[in-house]
Amino acid sequence: MSKKDNLRNLGFLAGGVVLLLFVPPTFSIYVRSFFMFMMMYVILSLSWNIISGYTGYINFGHVIFYGVGSYATAILVVDYGWHWIPTLFAAAVAGFIFAIVLGYPVLRLKGPYFAIAMLGASEGIRVIAINWHSLTHGADGINFPNIENSWETYHAMLVVMVLTIIVAYWVGHSRFGIRLNAIREDEVAAESLGVNTTFYKLAAFGLSAIFPAMAGGIQGYKVLYIEPESEFFILITIYMKLFAMFGGKGTVIGPILGAALLYSVQEYTWIRFPTAHLITFGIFIILVARFMPRGLMGYAIDKGWARKGMVH
Amino acid sequence: MEKVDRRSKYLLGGFLVIAYTLPFAIGIYTKNVFFEMQWFKDLITVILNGFMQGGVYAMFAVGLTMIFGVMRIINVAHGEMVMLGAYLSWASFFFLGFDPLAAMVFTLPIAFGLGWLIQKFLLNAVVGGPELTPLLMTFGLGLSMIYGVELLFTTDFRTIPYAPDSFQIAESIVVGRSRMISFGMALVISIGVFVFLKVHRIGKAIRATAQNADVAMVCGINIYNIYMITSGIAAALAVAGGALVSIQFGFNPETGIIYTLQAFAIIVLGGRGHFIGAMIGGVMLAVMESLISFMLPNGTALVEIAAYGLMIFVLLIRPQGLMGAKEL
Repeated sequence: MSKKDNLRNLGFLAGGVVLLLFVPPTFSIYVRSFFMFMMMYVILSLSWNIISGYTGYINFGHVIFYGVGSYATAILVVDYGWHWIPTLFAAAVAGFIFAIVLGYPVLRLKGPYFAIAMLGASEGIRVIAINWHSLTHGADGINFPNIENSWETYHAMLVVMVLTIIVAYWVGHSRFGIRLNAIREDEVAAESLGVNTTFYKLAAFGLSAIFPAMAGGIQGYKVLYIEPESEFFILITIYMKLFAMFGGKGTVIGPILGAALLYSVQEYTWIRFPTAHLITFGIFIILVARFMPRGLMGYAIDKGWARKGMVH
Repeated sequence: MEKVDRRSKYLLGGFLVIAYTLPFAIGIYTKNVFFEMQWFKDLITVILNGFMQGGVYAMFAVGLTMIFGVMRIINVAHGEMVMLGAYLSWASFFFLGFDPLAAMVFTLPIAFGLGWLIQKFLLNAVVGGPELTPLLMTFGLGLSMIYGVELLFTTDFRTIPYAPDSFQIAESIVVGRSRMISFGMALVISIGVFVFLKVHRIGKAIRATAQNADVAMVCGINIYNIYMITSGIAAALAVAGGALVSIQFGFNPETGIIYTLQAFAIIVLGGRGHFIGAMIGGVMLAVMESLISFMLPNGTALVEIAAYGLMIFVLLIRPQGLMGAKEL
């Protein structure tokens, strides 16, 4: 990766940002919201990719950080009267701390056991959130004061998305990312070569928790109402996993592409077939896992359309 | 190695002691524990009910442990199979008028066929490959099953009004009749499968494949056939478990994931791939859940925590579980 490539990719990013700043707002408020949620899923799948794509620790509970972030924002805005923008930083800190505390024990598990333990953790945290009434208002959920305008959240989501893309790009093209890849390929070998695997796994886990927490905060402020069942919804984990895998996990452009494409498809099918679209999604996961485990980007690299990078 | 093994065994024992006394401690702290005769009788009732519940848990955990033991696959769609079993017996009860337990005569073959087909067309290709591919595939399968059932039966909670009366054992020690029936059923089916594995030719072939698939193949066992049979038996056990669940609890399409995680907690606790371990683990988890729901304020909403906590802590302390990870 030379400096020229970095500049070129920065140019692409800037072009995308300018497009997103000026095009969707000219349409209706629905289109604006649609693009906002699409950006949210770009954030979620890119951050899932930081832990699961680069280090190979497939996370079935990434929604935890999203939920924690949205609850941090909601509690600070509603119960403590903060302005909503500083709460996003609090949400990021909360997500990071949560990831470190949770990841320190759980990241010692390997492969499928890590996956199942995270699945259990996300369900368990949902149950705690329902029952810890004094902190989370329980199953009643939290209502935000109705002062949101869709401009603010749109721009906030755009900023967080750009931040996520830059961090994911940096991780993908730095020594840090190379070490994470070494963990994915062979953890024991990486350790024997002097990589402090525990530290790097934990760092990647913490880093990947920051952005979903912020996205969760913005999303909560946008939809004005949060409750445990929807904030710790297992389907959100499934979406980020599927989007990242479809695009190509372990790359930067893959999850962006996957989220943009599949979120549009899912919005369309959701409008047309309200219940059946999840059945299709299940079948789609099976097909992607079976026949295209490296995703669109892996296919493109095999065909020689994209340069070989650190794709799994 | 020996020393590490023994130390982790002691650690696990200590953890389990703490885990079982914790509900009592919280109960005393929140004044839900009374030191009088009636309370002790209630406690015995609760533990007995939990024990019987455990038989059902053990039954669907045994299916998961068989799949894991033979193929080293974690089947995340197992809980959805339990849920499917509950709906099958619900449908046969309300549409065809069959007794939920008599309906097993035809629901179990259906389930066996389903497990067989899933194994044949989906999972046979990925056995022995990277461990995460089958995990993702069964996850997708489970998702399709949840929303397929939801499309057919909607998300309403369903129950089957079956033997709602209770059975008096001693003065003020009571067990629900449906719970006793399902415990007996679970015991019969589990022991049947155990004997099948020990005695029958195919059962022996399954155990041989679990011990070493390559050697089994050299000895002339068609391991892919064995995989399909194992998957079919596991699916049948899950559906039978679902039928027994359906006569005791309400269920809706999204309860499946709880059963998956419970079954996984049980097999982790008992030892992955260990048949007897799964049965012990099932009883232990169920007793713990009933203690939590009895002692804690608002405890019935918190029972799910038991499975998640047990699973994570046992994986961390002693991944091979109580009995040690062993072949069937």
